[in-house]
Amino acid sequence: MKKYLVLPLVLVMAIVASCTKKQVTNEKVLNVSVPQKVKGMDPIFASDRYSNNEVAKIYEGLLEYHYLKRPYTLVPNLAQDLPKVSDDGLTYTFTIRQGVFFHNDAAFTGGTGRELVAEDFVYSLKRLADPKLQGLGWWLIDGKIMGLNEWREKYANADKVSYDEKIEGIQALDKYTLQFKLTKPFPQFLYALAMPFTFAVAKEVVEHYGPEFINHPVGTGPFVLPKFEQTNRIVYTKNPTFRKKTFPCEASEEFKAEGLTADCGKQLPLLDKIVVEILIEDQPRWLNFLKGNIDYVGVPKDNFSSAIPDSKNLSEDLKKNGVGLLISPSLDVTYTAFNHDLDLFKNVKLRRALSLAYDVSQSNKLFYNDTALPAQSVVPPGIAGYMESYKNPYRSYGEAENIEKAKKLLAEAGYPDGKGLPEITYDCPAGTVSRQVGEFFKKQMEQIGVNTKVVQNSWPELQNKINKRSVMMYGIAWGADYPDAENFLQLLYGPNKAPGANGSGYNNPEFNSLFVKAAIMQDSPERTALYEKLNRIAAEEVPWIYGVHRQSFVLKHAWLKNYIATDFDAGQEQFLNIDVEKKAELSKKL
Amino acid sequence: MSTVVKSKSLWKHAFEQLVSDRMALMSLLIVIIYSLVAVLSATGLLAGNWADEMGPSYAAPSGEFLFGLDIFGRSVLAKTIKGTEVAMSVGLVTALISAVIGIVLGAVAGYFGGKVDEFVVWFYTTFTSIPSIMLLIAITFIMGKGLVAVYLALGLTSWVSLCRLIRGEVIRHKDREYVHAATAIGGNDFRKLFKHILPNVLHIVIINFSLTFQTAIKSEVILSYLGLGVQGRPSWGTMIDDAKLELARGVWWQLAAATLAMFVVVLAFNILGDALRDSLDPKLKGK
Amino acid sequence: MNTWTYIARRTLYVIPVILGVCFLIFVLFNVFSPDPAMIMLGKHATAKQMAELRAELGLDKPFFIQYLDIVKASFTFDFGRSWSTKQEIFQMIKQGAIPSLTVTLPGFLLSTLISIAISLLVAFYRGKMIDKAVVFFCVAGMSISSLAYILFGQWFFAYKLGWFEISGYEEGFPYFIPYIILPVIIWVILSIGPDVRFFRTIILDEVYQDYVRTARSKGLGENHIMFKHVLKNAMVSIITYVIIQLPFLILGALLLESFFSIPGLGAMTLNAINSSDFPVIRAMTVLSAVAYIIFSILTDVLYTVVDPRVRLH
Repeated sequence: MKKYLVLPLVLVMAIVASCTKKQVTNEKVLNVSVPQKVKGMDPIFASDRYSNNEVAKIYEGLLEYHYLKRPYTLVPNLAQDLPKVSDDGLTYTFTIRQGVFFHNDAAFTGGTGRELVAEDFVYSLKRLADPKLQGLGWWLIDGKIMGLNEWREKYANADKVSYDEKIEGIQALDKYTLQFKLTKPFPQFLYALAMPFTFAVAKEVVEHYGPEFINHPVGTGPFVLPKFEQTNRIVYTKNPTFRKKTFPCEASEEFKAEGLTADCGKQLPLLDKIVVEILIEDQPRWLNFLKGNIDYVGVPKDNFSSAIPDSKNLSEDLKKNGVGLLISPSLDVTYTAFNHDLDLFKNVKLRRALSLAYDVSQSNKLFYNDTALPAQSVVPPGIAGYMESYKNPYRSYGEAENIEKAKKLLAEAGYPDGKGLPEITYDCPAGTVSRQVGEFFKKQMEQIGVNTKVVQNSWPELQNKINKRSVMMYGIAWGADYPDAENFLQLLYGPNKAPGANGSGYNNPEFNSLFVKAAIMQDSPERTALYEKLNRIAAEEVPWIYGVHRQSFVLKHAWLKNYIATDFDAGQEQFLNIDVEKKAELSKKL
Repeated sequence: MSTVVKSKSLWKHAFEQLVSDRMALMSLLIVIIYSLVAVLSATGLLAGNWADEMGPSYAAPSGEFLFGLDIFGRSVLAKTIKGTEVAMSVGLVTALISAVIGIVLGAVAGYFGGKVDEFVVWFYTTFTSIPSIMLLIAITFIMGKGLVAVYLALGLTSWVSLCRLIRGEVIRHKDREYVHAATAIGGNDFRKLFKHILPNVLHIVIINFSLTFQTAIKSEVILSYLGLGVQGRPSWGTMIDDAKLELARGVWWQLAAATLAMFVVVLAFNILGDALRDSLDPKLKGK
Repeated sequence: MNTWTYIARRTLYVIPVILGVCFLIFVLFNVFSPDPAMIMLGKHATAKQMAELRAELGLDKPFFIQYLDIVKASFTFDFGRSWSTKQEIFQMIKQGAIPSLTVTLPGFLLSTLISIAISLLVAFYRGKMIDKAVVFFCVAGMSISSLAYILFGQWFFAYKLGWFEISGYEEGFPYFIPYIILPVIIWVILSIGPDVRFFRTIILDEVYQDYVRTARSKGLGENHIMFKHVLKNAMVSIITYVIIQLPFLILGALLLESFFSIPGLGAMTLNAINSSDFPVIRAMTVLSAVAYIIFSILTDVLYTVVDPRVRLH
């Protein structure tokens, strides 16, 4: 019988051991969760928002978004100042900040991180263009930097890529001076330098670890991670040798009013440690937040009404525990695209009819708890090109006369009551909510006699189908890469047709020529006028059935300080703070 | 001739035992009712209006809405009924596919022996070595999504155990005297196989059928969770998948309705399968 | 034929089976697999980039070579790198195996022990009310979807009552223990039904054997018969059943690991499925197939050693 006693004994011992381990300390620990596996720690592969965010805890770029300013403003980070731009808008000259050091790592001689120099950026950008590596951010600089495409071409079929070869477009003029030469004006170039794709890596480290570099992040950033392991918990610690960088004292009025500048002038980072938990399912994430194991969380659709009963205010239960709610619009648009390769959808009347049959306010109610903004066109509010008072004429909010109008248009299109139309497939990503959105779409189309079939796909499968043009309609969303309408309008630019970003294959010569013109203009009232014109075409031609611009709803515990919702949250953690005493006090109640 | 008499008495005996077992009888009744519901809903006589909006989103169960409403205000009861159609058809087609493959391969292997047998054994050993979840995924990838893919995926992954049993039984039976007698009067291979041997192993098929049926119903839930399930119509799997988000807001009725519906029929099949085995398996006879 | 020749023959049989498994995997995952380009290159990919990538991955090689690569991998376990995470797959499997086993192994041991105990009990009282009730509950328990157990268990026991951790995992003994208790309990509940049903049948089969009747006629006590004879003889079938399940423990528990955020192979596989990460799916398939083949030989060999009655083919 002895054998059977051992197991419970071990269990008891272990529970005791684990309880004693959880002592309250004065360490400032941030606990967050991400809903997806993190795809390694290499900046050039950080294509999704979550990997992006992890990479940016370790690595830094020349520029960053000012944490407390809206509209989004670029400020220097590893650069000393904003660059000097030549009059023709083609040459950008940066001075690199002095006294910035890489994290200590065995890859460096003596194990101590060396100083960052201009040459590191030359190397990092070449790496992004390396044809052997197939970095995911190549589109960002493709065809834009002088000599870089030629370099990439040259080595595409060679056995080894030579990084020693000089490239006209990216040069280190001296230790701290970096110069870019562009092939054509590209006003969004500076945004590219704030994206993790272009962050600085050290050549020694890349060469030392080879393909395992992805698991050995060594940057200049505020946090360190000695080794990245494929587990569900990533623990970062404060970088002890971080340069002098302080919490911003300037802020937009709304942030000042909220007292977000309280930490003004304090050395960053404010946290000692970050624990990132990968929680794929909604239920455990939500339950962990309620228990205080996670400091902030986006509200899942179906927890919405219990957490936020009247769509603006928190439920009493949560308020009592000191939970706060942050609502902020996100720079995105959801839409249902037509495949414009099909003759069927070249018929604009049909597209308009389907758009009018779709009740956007009902979809807003069901899927966004009535908090999103029905989209009139492609550009979201918050950036130039968005038209506040513009109403898309082919947009329905469930009014009966719009259904009549849709039916009439459908008849004019040659399909009275949907007769003669084939069954239209609607492809969507797998997942409960996506499926429900699809079912809703099907129901809406049935109102005017259009028969649809919903098909779920894994994310890559859907992308694959779009590329192969084997879709009819599909539901998808786009989030901004950078705060510029160009990033949205390019989704409808003909030459960007799939496998480019224009998955619908919409190709309108008028739109295309206007877009080309606008894309190379610097920010100006003329460009805004052009953007608005493009936005209007995108609305009235109905290349997609527009959905909504979403709002992000984030719940946070009272002990989390300085958190604000942002569309570009890379590097945000360095500004966050934890009130340890408050946490100790409040967690008792949870 | 004696075999026919023997098998008749076996079936008669089994039937009597089944009828005398009240639990088994009830289970049989439940299965019949579910089948009826499935047929009625397939012909549109029942729950034809499942897609209609009956009231507000997520209305709780009440006198008016027996099982409450879902996110689109659709009746959960109607969806559950419509889901019965999917579940029963998945169970039936899967069990049929697996029975056909299992019987044919098992019988052929057992009867002909030699190289044929070696090949079939190699084939199913290879097949079982691959975890069925991986096969399911691969098949749905190849077939695309939808009901047909679900049928095939589940059918193609569940025939091996039947095939093994049939093969063993056929080997046991083929040297019996009645088979030799059939050879003596000039019966060809297929005649012998189908007329003489198969009726004697039919009980295995029936027991296996009821087990495959209920396993398929349960597997549909997992497929739905993976997004590989039935598309564009309600199934118990998609209802349970919905519930995984709804539960935290207190919407339990969709989970409850689908789980209950599934529970009853799977339980009935299990009890029926046990009863069938008890009454049909000659090894257990009279014990 | 003696036992050793049998074992040798049985071992050699591995070769055609592995070749067959590789062929099936090749057909399912290479011939029909989707284009990896989209999976790896994301939303801004160009056609040219895709062609470059395909060449880089060796997908333009002839099918025969691709097949040989799979065969090679099933012996060397060198599966290359994941499409989505770019990690070395062998490392991923190595890292995920321990967390998976910390859930599945205790769950498996506990459920097997409990099931055998229950089966003996109900076999002792066969045909009585308690037998019927236990069988009914087992079957009833099996008739509920595993997803329902997980959703409810996590919400009620971990959150509402706060008895267990909601989710998570920590490496190293004994730190992982608080995290695995609830998943293990759910595993046990899920597997007790089928196990008891199976063990009960095996034990009953033995109870009705002639030797039991003889023993009883000799006047031996029922307890003595149950433990000394029946259990001993049923053990062969039980062990076979147990061993053949072992390879599946490595596969982990897809849903449990995903909901309880345990960084095991089950969660890894699920993630690979959701991101169409074919090299990982393929590697896991090869791995579990090879494990299955090895363990099925083990059972066969064990069977012949333990029970000489088994005819050697």
